[in-house]
Amino acid sequence: MRTKLAVVMVGLGMLLAAVPVRAHHAFAAEFDSKKPVKLRGTVTKMEWINPHAWIHIDVKNADGSVTSWMVEGGTPNTLFRRGLTKDSLVEGTEIVVDGYQAKDGSNRANGRDITFPDGRKLFLGSGNASEGAPSEPK
Amino acid sequence: MNSPRPALASCSGDWIRTPNPRFLTHVGQAFRPAAGLPPGAPRRSAAAARKGCPTSSTERGFSRFRRDPLLASLAAVLLMSLPAAAQTKTWNAPKTPDGQPDLQGTWTNATITPLERPDDLAGKEFLTSQEAAEYEKRIAQANNADRRDLPPENDVGLAYNDFWYNRGTKIVGTRRTSLIVDPPDGKVPPLTPQAQKKQDDLRAAARGHASDGPESRALTERCLLWPTAGPPMLPSFYNNNYQIVQGPGYVAILVEMIHDVRVIPLDGRPHVSGNVRQWMGDSRGHWEGNTLVVDTTNFTDKTRFRGADEKMHLVERFTRVDANTIMYEFTVDDPTAFTRSWRAQVPMRRTESPVYEYACHEGNYAMAGMLAGARADEKAAANAAKTGSK
Repeated sequence: MRTKLAVVMVGLGMLLAAVPVRAHHAFAAEFDSKKPVKLRGTVTKMEWINPHAWIHIDVKNADGSVTSWMVEGGTPNTLFRRGLTKDSLVEGTEIVVDGYQAKDGSNRANGRDITFPDGRKLFLGSGNASEGAPSEPK
Repeated sequence: MNSPRPALASCSGDWIRTPNPRFLTHVGQAFRPAAGLPPGAPRRSAAAARKGCPTSSTERGFSRFRRDPLLASLAAVLLMSLPAAAQTKTWNAPKTPDGQPDLQGTWTNATITPLERPDDLAGKEFLTSQEAAEYEKRIAQANNADRRDLPPENDVGLAYNDFWYNRGTKIVGTRRTSLIVDPPDGKVPPLTPQAQKKQDDLRAAARGHASDGPESRALTERCLLWPTAGPPMLPSFYNNNYQIVQGPGYVAILVEMIHDVRVIPLDGRPHVSGNVRQWMGDSRGHWEGNTLVVDTTNFTDKTRFRGADEKMHLVERFTRVDANTIMYEFTVDDPTAFTRSWRAQVPMRRTESPVYEYACHEGNYAMAGMLAGARADEKAAANAAKTGSK
């Protein structure tokens, strides 16, 4: 376990050295690290827009009421190259979102991790997203 | 790609090609062509001499070249056809109908090789194939690591796993540890004291005002320009795709990131007047053998590429080295900003993927989100102060 952690930490150090770890914008400016959220909801709309796609979901609360959330995803160009199409996330699909809520308290979150209820990662059959990017030259 | 030739390459970064003197507008002294040497011919830098790099046969015969123009031009042609990435065989570049070397197509420069050499690889210019495989594996693991064990501040900043990114999984084919090939340490050279002061002053002025309004946010967040979109063009974490189109007298490069097109005239016209400053500068191209050389000046002081100022003089070289690769090199010369010029080498590989439009501003909800976040932070701080003063 300790070895595994060490590997992850070394790898992370290299990652930090290797690439700027930021998306299009400063996520830390938009989302609150003190407000982690785990949302289970059904897709009502997927906005294929630049610079980042937004997934709209309805989350059922314990009292039966429904809260609508917007979840920020990746850039459409990349999602498309990964094999995601308009048919991949149709209305009514149930997903689980792990992320952080917007600082201003509105119902927006970053989609840092999105899975189907059975644990499969969204859009991918593979457990490792870095394998088989369609646009990667061989 | 080709295997590296470390014996040559360890000092190859010290061979600076002189740009065509026609394009020397406000170029620094470092790029004055050596007397008697044809434009485009490599010459040995003082740094190479200081380092004690092995004297090449080119240098040993240097005085002969000066005496014999035919020999000199023959040598120049031979050397120009050798990309810095150590070409192992001659490859005949196809030509466009009007006779230009054909660079057309869509290309990607996605790679996990960083611009600057990581500190833990200091002194190591190349990886072995085994080291490269391990490095690629480690980076892939790190990019996909479950980061929820990290403090949430890091997690929210890291934001995405690799699914959302498209930064490639491979290091460059030369197995270099940095895209920068000169200086030999693989790092962007230090800023000059005046440039450092300017940068410090700008940062000090921005402190506490980072979210005053949209104008105070980064150019990327405003969808104006991406620092890797260039010129010079560098890999980023997605949208690393370029389409090159050629017509008589022009080369055009469509950059997917922020979807700008750079139209480069090849007719030898001078740069625009010095009082015209442009986000992507003013590019002029010409051919040196099979290499497209693009000279860019007239930058603004707003882009500040790696600390450069508006006097940045950029020379890019595009050489098709095989059917599926353009070796792209660029030299940054900006004596008021950097203590020396620097050069990087980025292979661009053919991709079948079309370039998609990245109309960055169409749904930039994040801008409002970030400003709302800043207002929320200010309100929370004010409330905390009020509670504290009671």
